[in-house]
Amino acid sequence: MTAETVLYILVSGVVLGSLYALMAVGLALVWTTLGIFNFAHGMFITLGAYFAWTVADGNGLGWGLAAGIAFSVAALAALGCLAEAVLVRPFLKRDNLVLVAVITTLAAATFLENATLLSRGGRSKQLAPLAEGNISMFGIGLSAHEAAIVVIAPLILYSVWLFLQRTRTGSALRAIAQNQEAALLAGIPVARLYALSFALAASLAGLVGIFLGGIKFMSPSMGTDPMVKALVVVIFGGIASISGPIRAAYVIGLLEAVCIYSIGIYWTQAALFVVMIAVLMIRPTGLFGGQRA
Amino acid sequence: MQKLLEVDKLASGYGRIQIVRDISFSLATGECLGLFGPNGHGKSTLLKAISGLLPCWSGSIRFAGQTISNASPRKIVEAGLILVPQGNQLFPEMTVGETLRLGAFANAARAEEASNLERAYSIFPRLKERDRQQVWSLSGGERQMVAIGVGLMGNPKLLILDEPTLGLAPRIKDELCDAIGAVSKHGVPLVVVEQDVEFLLGLVDRLILIDHGSAVREFSAANSIGHDEIMDMYFGDGKVA
Repeated sequence: MTAETVLYILVSGVVLGSLYALMAVGLALVWTTLGIFNFAHGMFITLGAYFAWTVADGNGLGWGLAAGIAFSVAALAALGCLAEAVLVRPFLKRDNLVLVAVITTLAAATFLENATLLSRGGRSKQLAPLAEGNISMFGIGLSAHEAAIVVIAPLILYSVWLFLQRTRTGSALRAIAQNQEAALLAGIPVARLYALSFALAASLAGLVGIFLGGIKFMSPSMGTDPMVKALVVVIFGGIASISGPIRAAYVIGLLEAVCIYSIGIYWTQAALFVVMIAVLMIRPTGLFGGQRA
Repeated sequence: MQKLLEVDKLASGYGRIQIVRDISFSLATGECLGLFGPNGHGKSTLLKAISGLLPCWSGSIRFAGQTISNASPRKIVEAGLILVPQGNQLFPEMTVGETLRLGAFANAARAEEASNLERAYSIFPRLKERDRQQVWSLSGGERQMVAIGVGLMGNPKLLILDEPTLGLAPRIKDELCDAIGAVSKHGVPLVVVEQDVEFLLGLVDRLILIDHGSAVREFSAANSIGHDEIMDMYFGDGKVA
């Protein structure tokens, strides 16, 4: 293996890791605050790309990519609030909320996927990249779009971290995740923050869709595979925290890049699951979870 | 006299299981009240219903002139009624300082955040030393101090403490009892649930015995109660003269 190959694997691993991190943070946020797994998260990714395409592309409104991104992120935030109100809130008091939420979010994902197929058709579309052209670094070339993802994703993740750590609302979100009853008794508006965490997760998923739309062709089911990866990442990293999945995302991204190079794309998915199972056998709380006694 | 809290014929419970049956009592402004009685007879359930964590099945609760039965916990906190629940684990992965500041989340408490923090630190100097320590690493007694501190940060018009000394070593318990006395001296009206009736007698104006989900007896703390009488109230038929 030449140094160039190693570098190439490293770069594509970081690109994948950045996308997984953005997805996994959203899933983990909903998971920690509401205690449910949102199966519609993958559709948020798809819709992020389709909303942006509809506004930005010449075959849509043709207002340019910046407008497309702004509209898509805002629309996803609204959709996140709506999803929480319709799919989760009516069932909050039920003992089997976790199970009900699996069904409602899966139903919503199916509904939205087919709605996208009906309204936008099955023909693959492509979103304009964030930046045109290629850049070469250390002797390897990568697209400017991928380079932008590598730079922007950590900035977004850092902002999310700052929001959760440094603002009153962010610390209230963490408080709900740690002890809901104590949060209620401190006067924290738990229901409103549920909606906020859904909105934030949906916006982040929308951004992932926009980033993906510039790399691959868009299809109504484009979010499914990334969501499964994000699920692996979240479980692998330890579901009880936000930072665990972020770190795990980069580990998984790099691992995937190595696997694709060494054993091929066909076996990569299986290899990732083998690694996840092995890690969970040794550390049941996840790679970065449960560090304290 | 003006009433701060009026509980009238309250019934509540979990799911379909009724725990609290027909409890009525009231609290005058400036008064401190003690609740005691055997375990599993509805004291904590009563407090959860008052603070909005459990529904009121029937009856009513009025606080500071407004009806708060079946209001959301947030609205009740905003009104100034704050519960420090039994064995509160708080937010394990937050620092003491962060946790205290979250106690001032309510709009009604924001303006007084700085002075309330100072008050909490003056009553519990140990919390100031532990300001940057995570809550999970604290001892049981320190955690209880944080829990009461969080309650004080909510700028309470009435602070309700549910068994604040439960499971603490005697020395820590004494320290905490003194601190609760200091809270009361700062002019915060208290409702305290305790098994230790002697501690309650030194702290509150009036005591209520809760038994089988009802308030069976009420007496002034000024008339001293003998040990035998307390034993009889716990284990007897609750009808002693």
